[in-house]
Amino acid sequence: MRCGLRWLGSTRFTLVGMALLAIGAALSYDNPVTTPVWVLVIPLLLLAVNLLLAIIVNPAINRRAGLLLFHVGLLSVVVLVAIGRLTFMEAHIELVDGAAFDRDAMFDVRQGPWHSGDLDRIRFIQQGYSIDYRPGMKRGLTYNHILQADADGRLQAGVIGDDRPLLLDGYRIYTTSNKGFAPRLTWVADDGLMVSGSINMPSYPLLYFRQANEWTPPGGETIKFWLQLDTGLKEDSAWVLEPKQARGTLIVNEAGQRVELQPGQSLALKGGTLHYDQLSSWMGFKLFYDPTLPWLFVSAILTVLGLFIHYGQKFSAEPLLLNSKTDKKLLSLSSGKMA
Amino acid sequence: MAELPWLYAALIAYGLATVVAFYDVMPVRSGRVARHADNERLVFSLMLAGVLLLVVTLTERWLRLGHGPFVNLFELLMSQLFSLGIIYALVYWRVPVMRRSALVALPMLWVLGLWVLAIEPKDSVLPPTYHNDWLWAHVGFGKVFLSFCLIGSSLAGVLLLRRWPLFQGWFRIMPTDKIVDALAWRFMLVAFAFHTLMLIAGAVWAQDAWGRYWAWDALETSSFLNWLMLGAALHARVSYKVSLRVGAVLILVIFIFAFFTYFGAPFYSEAAHKGVI
Repeated sequence: MRCGLRWLGSTRFTLVGMALLAIGAALSYDNPVTTPVWVLVIPLLLLAVNLLLAIIVNPAINRRAGLLLFHVGLLSVVVLVAIGRLTFMEAHIELVDGAAFDRDAMFDVRQGPWHSGDLDRIRFIQQGYSIDYRPGMKRGLTYNHILQADADGRLQAGVIGDDRPLLLDGYRIYTTSNKGFAPRLTWVADDGLMVSGSINMPSYPLLYFRQANEWTPPGGETIKFWLQLDTGLKEDSAWVLEPKQARGTLIVNEAGQRVELQPGQSLALKGGTLHYDQLSSWMGFKLFYDPTLPWLFVSAILTVLGLFIHYGQKFSAEPLLLNSKTDKKLLSLSSGKMA
Repeated sequence: MAELPWLYAALIAYGLATVVAFYDVMPVRSGRVARHADNERLVFSLMLAGVLLLVVTLTERWLRLGHGPFVNLFELLMSQLFSLGIIYALVYWRVPVMRRSALVALPMLWVLGLWVLAIEPKDSVLPPTYHNDWLWAHVGFGKVFLSFCLIGSSLAGVLLLRRWPLFQGWFRIMPTDKIVDALAWRFMLVAFAFHTLMLIAGAVWAQDAWGRYWAWDALETSSFLNWLMLGAALHARVSYKVSLRVGAVLILVIFIFAFFTYFGAPFYSEAAHKGVI
């Protein structure tokens, strides 16, 4: 029993675990759907057991402060990554200007079985964006405006974008490159029923040539829309995408006829009247939640700190170049001075 | 491009350092005794000149484009020539018994030198996710890691080369094999710490930039495998009686893998981190 535990905590077993983890990592390259998560979980479990036993039974580790800190740190990283995968959440959401975060509008939601974050505490309102573009349509910085409630419930303005996420109750909310225009429409059915909303057009400027979508109003027939935009887009020079400054003509196909609508105009269709209220924009956000992130960072830093402590002790205890007579002689030959 | 003449001048300086280092080990007949030339100061000065000329090259480009050398392969190679050069030159200066390892290290640098000459010096645009302080830490730690790997590998190269009588004279004034091996692994230990720091800084940057700290993209997977490889080699060394020759081969394999991680990824990935710029 003791012999078995010692083997499980040995550096030879570490090599087995590392080899398995290397195979798992290679198989996980680019996150193929066909690769099961177990190719990583099993080696990590084996390495966690190996680390734990090594810390307990291996005096070469537990009697050296630096190495002990390194291995404890490494074990904490493995445990925290596991907890993180059990409690994480990832999702996407598209919000039109003026819209508040709505958990029901999220899509591509993935979460761990122990996820316990309170999505109801995420309160912010999308307020539009502007994005710098460099020549060649290369996207620059995103300035996405939001309103968020402070501790007293008052709305405060803020700007997020790219690597500056909105941090709310452990959730990190990022802007994405997926964004576009959204004509606001009101449908008044012949029976008086009124519906207002917006139609999100495809991502802009990525799909600037294909700004089309369709919608079936209650009591009406499917309407096909095209959006003709004037955003000042310049492919070969610097440009700022400012949806609030953009103009958009909504083109509707009515009985084979092309009808152009400007904001404020209406069109009578079969079953009701369509009002084009105004041109708006939408932003695609990514939500990320992992409560272990700060602890993971601290553990990782302690791990490296352990390494440096160990090196400091080892290198000062064994000054390599003065260990043998030959090397002393060589040093005196070279004497540190250049010819 | 105003920076190109400076780059060529830097490469010429590195080239001359290489020529002088090799000239030093060529036996010269003086009377009846074969002696070796000794131009260490000149080799060091030329390396330093190369580094300073690369500083001018990088500064010139930085001022012109408005961002650091982080984006395309041309910039990556230039900045790596600088970081490998400066760290190797420092070690060359401070650890005299290692100086003859320049015969291995400088030709390794020349792989990058010739490569940078062969590719088109395209301008780059800094992606929005690169406006992050952690990028600096990530790239900086990565460069220190590769530099220590280069030093370890040059010592490993010495160990392997001096088994042949042809090269024994070259490395005659270096310490015993045992010491060179221990020294090489010591540099690999330091490289391991900086590799770990690079992975940590990269994960923090990735979390800020793309909303995830790890996603098994081309560079992440490759650099993690490199970290595992180095960790496994260090463990193998304490678990088994690894011979000096096998140890040296292991170090070279790790360096070659690191080299392909840094400079190979751009071949199969448009950006350093595929699809996520």
